[in-house]
Amino acid sequence: MNDLAAASAAALTGASAQPKLKVRDVHFYYNGYQALKGINMDIPEKQVTAIIGPSGCGKSTLLRIFNRIYAIYPKLEAKGSIELDGENILDPNYSMNRLRTKVGMVFQKPVPFPMTIFENVAYGIRHHEKLSRADMEIRVEQALRSAALWDEVKDKLKQSALGLSGGQQQRLCIARGIALRPEVLLLDEPTSALDPIATGRIEQLVEELKHEYTIVIVTHNMQQAARVSDRTAFMYMGDLIEFDNTEKIFTKPGKKQTEDYITGRFG
Amino acid sequence: MSALSAEPIPRDTEHRSRTDARHDLIFRLALRFCALLVLAALLGAALSTLWGGRDVLFKDGLHFLFSSDWNPVENQFGALAPIVGTLVTSLIALILAVPVSFGIALFLTEIAPRWMRGPVGAAIELLAAIPSIIYGMWGLFVFVPFMATYIEPWLSDYFGDTSPSGGAQAVRLVIGTLILLIPTLPMFYGALHRWVHGIALTATAMVLALSLSGALSYVLMFSVLPNLFNGPPLGLGLLTAGIVLAVMILPFISSVMREVFQTVPARLKESSYALGSTTWEVVWDIVLPYTRSAVIGGIFLGLGRALGETMAVTFVLGNSYNLTASLLMPGTSISSSIANEFNEAVGLHRSALIALGFLLFVVTFIVLLIARFMLRQLARKEGR
Repeated sequence: MNDLAAASAAALTGASAQPKLKVRDVHFYYNGYQALKGINMDIPEKQVTAIIGPSGCGKSTLLRIFNRIYAIYPKLEAKGSIELDGENILDPNYSMNRLRTKVGMVFQKPVPFPMTIFENVAYGIRHHEKLSRADMEIRVEQALRSAALWDEVKDKLKQSALGLSGGQQQRLCIARGIALRPEVLLLDEPTSALDPIATGRIEQLVEELKHEYTIVIVTHNMQQAARVSDRTAFMYMGDLIEFDNTEKIFTKPGKKQTEDYITGRFG
Repeated sequence: MSALSAEPIPRDTEHRSRTDARHDLIFRLALRFCALLVLAALLGAALSTLWGGRDVLFKDGLHFLFSSDWNPVENQFGALAPIVGTLVTSLIALILAVPVSFGIALFLTEIAPRWMRGPVGAAIELLAAIPSIIYGMWGLFVFVPFMATYIEPWLSDYFGDTSPSGGAQAVRLVIGTLILLIPTLPMFYGALHRWVHGIALTATAMVLALSLSGALSYVLMFSVLPNLFNGPPLGLGLLTAGIVLAVMILPFISSVMREVFQTVPARLKESSYALGSTTWEVVWDIVLPYTRSAVIGGIFLGLGRALGETMAVTFVLGNSYNLTASLLMPGTSISSSIANEFNEAVGLHRSALIALGFLLFVVTFIVLLIARFMLRQLARKEGR
């Protein structure tokens, strides 16, 4: 009986979900400085995993390894392995192109490309698929609908994306990411540049998107982590201190450091 | 004590605000004067060249623009050869300098290792600091003989020959067609894939691209290029002047491009990489549109310099008023005509030279207008 209850609780919180990304002993170096010191974690499929921690703890660094965006800069080096569907994405032979269609990313500040709203979403698709104009219109509409932006922009698709508000721009960036139909969506402090109302919309969107995507969100806002995520990882000084169900992290954390951080004693 | 500190400090706010307002007014007027000075100088220069050229303009009217007959002894003045020479040499310079500058700027901002960026960037700026007389001397003593010995004989043998043998004709036609296939094949492929699919698409695109590039190649090889590269390898001429100009404007264009490419926010590039773009796609689709107006500005800065460049061009252009289609033949340009003849010009001849100066104004102005127009068209295409 007890086991059954535990199992159903686990199913609810998702502890039993399939791991989508298996992070194994990942180290990361900036010009020789070690930013990550052996990270191990299983990121569950179709759930929201939040990564929290004080500035400089390595949470964004970890996120930026998941799509290897760090590789566009020289002198950055990741060691260890990260398995996505059983394949190691840190293997130099793993195609960047393929990785980035599977793992999408939304950045801290909204960064619309200097083109029309339609082109912003179509841009990524064009790189990977040849679609007819009609198919492309369908895909763009779907992406904008999933990002809860369609109703606001459907009459001005031919206008520059730079004219949208900050919150709209950020949802456009999410639309651009999901237009490629990725499996994993990485959000790097997606609401830090937004006002509370726009933030609320993005959080609601994250809630909806998790039915289709595996989401990893880095945030410095603990309430946000508590609101949107199923699992929470706490990092400190390049180490993963604790990784558990969000409810557990915020109610009865297993480590002293985690408790100190979430109760605001440091960080 | 407390009563004392609560007492308001006496301030002459009235007086202070009056002097502030006066200072602001003086400052604003001074700035306006500076701005108007530029306009006045421009307008004054344009009008005084127009006035100085009035004799020849009244005498010949539009004929001055469209006649290529320039004969000071018989008081015949037609400006067509200098105008064409100016435009053609500048165009050659742009065609050569823009892609190379683009490559330099991209290499320095996106690809080069950090330690290389400073020295190469500084070298480019030094290139811009070389006086044009030195380019002219280098052009005449070094580059002209080089062109005459190696490049021009080859060009005129391979492209300038108007009646080549059958075998040579066939070889040229095939090579031209193959080169032209590079742009035409993807073009047709892209345009057709909405209607046709699979092997039929490949076949149709292939046939269409082959026939188009074949026809273009025929026209190029047998009527355009033989005219452009016809003539004896003198070394002096429009092509040589264009190449020297290209070297001269290269540093301007590439340093402007480098500066503006550096202003593209890293997060914009990262976003594009995160969608799976290659470096080329990031540059072409993100960096270039983001910096477009400044890049076009830089190109037109270079073009402006090329149009007005005097000394270097005078040295290597050959200064001949004979108007031919061949780039290997000597020609003249507006500024080199003025520089060459101003010493001995009197009367109508002098007026014609000043009118040429006015034409240079007009040509530059038209070029700037075209730049503005292009920018507006591009902005409209982007939905702004």
